Amino acid sequence: MLIQLAVSGMRSKLKDYIVLLAGLVMSIAIFYMFQTMAWNTGFIKENAVINSIRLVYGVGSFLLALVTFFYILYANGFLLSLRQREFGLYMMLGARKEKIGRLMLIETIVVGVCSLVIGTVLGVLLSVVVGHLMSNILEIELSGYYPLYWPAVLFTCLFFGVLFLISAVWNRLRLARRQVLQLLNGNMQADRPARGGAARVLMTIAGCISLGIGYFCLVFMEQLRELGLLTATVMTPLGTYLLFMALLPALLDRLKKNEKRMLRGMKSFTFGQLSFRIHGLTKMLATVAMLIALGAGAIAGGLAFMNNALVAAESSSVYDTQVHNPNQEQLRLLNSITFTERLEYHYKVDHEMLYFVQEELESQRPLIKEEYNSKSWNRLIRIQGPPPAGSSWNGDYSPDPQWNQFLLDMTPNDQPYGEYRVVNKQQFEELASKEQRIVLGKTADFLSYKAKWRELDRLEQEKLDAAQSNWTVYSKFSIYENYLGIASGTVFMGFFLGIAFLTMMASCLMFKILTGAAKDIQRYQMLRKIGVRRERLAGSIRHELLLVFLFPGLAGLSHVLVGMNLFSFILVEPYYRIWVPVAIFTMIYSVYYLITVNLYQRIVLPGKE
Amino acid sequence: MTKPVIDIRQVSKLYGGKHENKVYALNNVSFTMVEGEFIGIMGASGSGKTTLLNVISTLDQATEGTVMIAGTDITRMKSGQLSDFRAKQLGFIFQDFNLLDNLTVHDNIALPLSLQDVPAAEIKQKVKHVMENLGIAELADKYPATISGGQRQRTAAARAIVHEPALLLGDEPTGALDSKNATSLLETMKKLNEEQNISILMVTHDAMSASYCRRILFIQDGRLVKEIVRLGPRESFYQEILGVLSEYGSARSSGE
Ligand SMILES: Nc1ncnc2c1ncn2[C@@H]1O[C@H](COP(=O)(O)OP(=O)(O)O)[C@@H](O)[C@H]1O
Ligand SMILES: [Mg+2]
Repeated sequence: MLIQLAVSGMRSKLKDYIVLLAGLVMSIAIFYMFQTMAWNTGFIKENAVINSIRLVYGVGSFLLALVTFFYILYANGFLLSLRQREFGLYMMLGARKEKIGRLMLIETIVVGVCSLVIGTVLGVLLSVVVGHLMSNILEIELSGYYPLYWPAVLFTCLFFGVLFLISAVWNRLRLARRQVLQLLNGNMQADRPARGGAARVLMTIAGCISLGIGYFCLVFMEQLRELGLLTATVMTPLGTYLLFMALLPALLDRLKKNEKRMLRGMKSFTFGQLSFRIHGLTKMLATVAMLIALGAGAIAGGLAFMNNALVAAESSSVYDTQVHNPNQEQLRLLNSITFTERLEYHYKVDHEMLYFVQEELESQRPLIKEEYNSKSWNRLIRIQGPPPAGSSWNGDYSPDPQWNQFLLDMTPNDQPYGEYRVVNKQQFEELASKEQRIVLGKTADFLSYKAKWRELDRLEQEKLDAAQSNWTVYSKFSIYENYLGIASGTVFMGFFLGIAFLTMMASCLMFKILTGAAKDIQRYQMLRKIGVRRERLAGSIRHELLLVFLFPGLAGLSHVLVGMNLFSFILVEPYYRIWVPVAIFTMIYSVYYLITVNLYQRIVLPGKE
Repeated sequence: MTKPVIDIRQVSKLYGGKHENKVYALNNVSFTMVEGEFIGIMGASGSGKTTLLNVISTLDQATEGTVMIAGTDITRMKSGQLSDFRAKQLGFIFQDFNLLDNLTVHDNIALPLSLQDVPAAEIKQKVKHVMENLGIAELADKYPATISGGQRQRTAAARAIVHEPALLLGDEPTGALDSKNATSLLETMKKLNEEQNISILMVTHDAMSASYCRRILFIQDGRLVKEIVRLGPRESFYQEILGVLSEYGSARSSGE
């Protein structure tokens, strides 16, 4: 009988169960998608640019498992909160505690099994879709990637099976500890006094130390390597949790007191609301912060790998294209590109020697890299010195390293020795061999002309094929493409995980919204009755949620900014264009904030009259 | 002499943890209630009425003292036994009706029986009986959200007595009702008490409600401070209650 009653109770809260199930299903699907890659060694080896890739996946799995663990506990807490009033009533009417406990256990397990089945299926489907989408967007091939990968299915089921069992037992224990009255009164808990001074100071110190160690390891990742990676993985989340638990309530108290002095009516209600529930929120917000760090970090990492292709290309040569003896078609294409700088030189080749015209070089001084290493690839200077008359080959030439760098870069591929001689116009004309021509061009943005470069490479390849040469095109664009090809798997993983983590973050915050909503409906109705305008209530909600969103957002971003050092031993410049992922994240987060505010206002505010 | 339904001796209840201020919500309370009595408990808010009721109703434990209900010492019982005890011996009516909004009025009333796995035919017959008794038979298939406050409270009352408990407990059962609905609920309770000999213990701070009782205990700061018994008509009892209230009310406010 009790079971029938419980099922009918569940049905009446279908909406909340759908949210709960959706959150669980998403986290399982995400976990599964990660596992399809983590267990597929073939795919990883083929697609990753990182040597210690197994370790990276080990660490990734650990972090994901850790966050998922807290997430599941939180979700199950939500489950308990959905049921406690009803269970309290049953107990008041004389249902035995053990019976209710068993019911809770069964319910947790049923919810777990349902979400596990749906989640795994969804995970497989999502893997197919995301795989296709990503390889289209990023213009990459994913070889060896299987959406349905049995070891991943097995591991996911095992992992979540254990997790659900733990949380079922945990829920049962919590239920057993509570008095009937506590259950009946539901979330009507007294405001717990802020944690005692000593405990808080201790937690703050421990949190600072942990976070400090974590950040230290991230900053000196290049030196500490594997050890640093492991330490940072453990210490950073630990520090985050400790600091959130110790500082957030205190911080809110401070804010509240400040606001009180200013006596601005609605705000004191807003802060009252927040500090009333902040104790229950700290762990969730810390989890959200970690999820943000992981999500934004994964996207930033993926983008960094993509950017690294550009860095690799840019450091290979200063000019975006160089075409030797362009034919009609190539010329037409070159003319259709807006170059910020277009240079044209003539040269002649005899035996193994290249001849350049001194006057031409003098009148068109090129740009070169300030230093010839990859770290300073984007610092360019124009050659100031005179073009060296004479040859690089016989002794009458004092090598000018700047011109040397440039002229060697210009040497055609079939001239591998790269000996050259700079002669004046007259000498040049007297040379018997055929005059040849090279066009160099630099645009404002290499990436916005990808189609043109591809076409130029194709035409060049045609030319090479026609000449029955064994050479393949070697251009800045081909370097870019090659690099992107190697990194694509990694870029894909980054985006994939980023989206996954951000989705989990979203559902974490959604639980918060829904657990609070029932009580808030009454509060806001009461305020409305005593004459507070709807707009002010709406404002209060905006304000409250802004603070809820702000703290984990800031903490998460700070983790990302420090954490990008993680890639410093793989990437030339992990921080290159870091504002792009930060902007992407900020946008997603803001949109999500607005949606949440809207949703919450719709749930708790009385309708417009 | 009739046997006691409630017999509590030197009961105290202390609130507050290690680091908080300790509050005696109940301080050395003793009283006895015999079968068939209709007792009211009155007092200012915060005086300990709800706490007393919760201790009697086994929902909360006393810090000290013994609580005997229907001849059993509930302070010695285990949680399972307490549940069974509540299921068989006690009925509750609270200020907020505590109905499940996903069950019909009929199913809400049937809840104490169906939780005990009473056969369906018997449930049907018993629920029908109480619903007719309380004049809500025509509401059987409605949901709590679609009926009035008075009807909800009568549904709660029906649920509280459907299993024929030894003791009916009410915590401000009329608190959320207007005077017409309150009166009708009180008349119902009076009827139950007089015709079916159900013992009723009701907490209230409203003198009109209290005037339906046969005996009233006054509580102040966790102590029982006065007791009056109805001897004459309800009207004069009402006046007497008002007198006691003003006496203790003023004593209290001058003490603060
Ligand atoms: N859960 C609790 N924790 C701490 N103090 C409580 C709790 N419940 C009640 N009290 C205190 O016990 C006293 C009596 O409360 P209560 O029995 O609810 O009063 P009444 O029902 O007469 O208004 C009050 O001072 C109240 O503050
Ligand atoms: Mg009370």
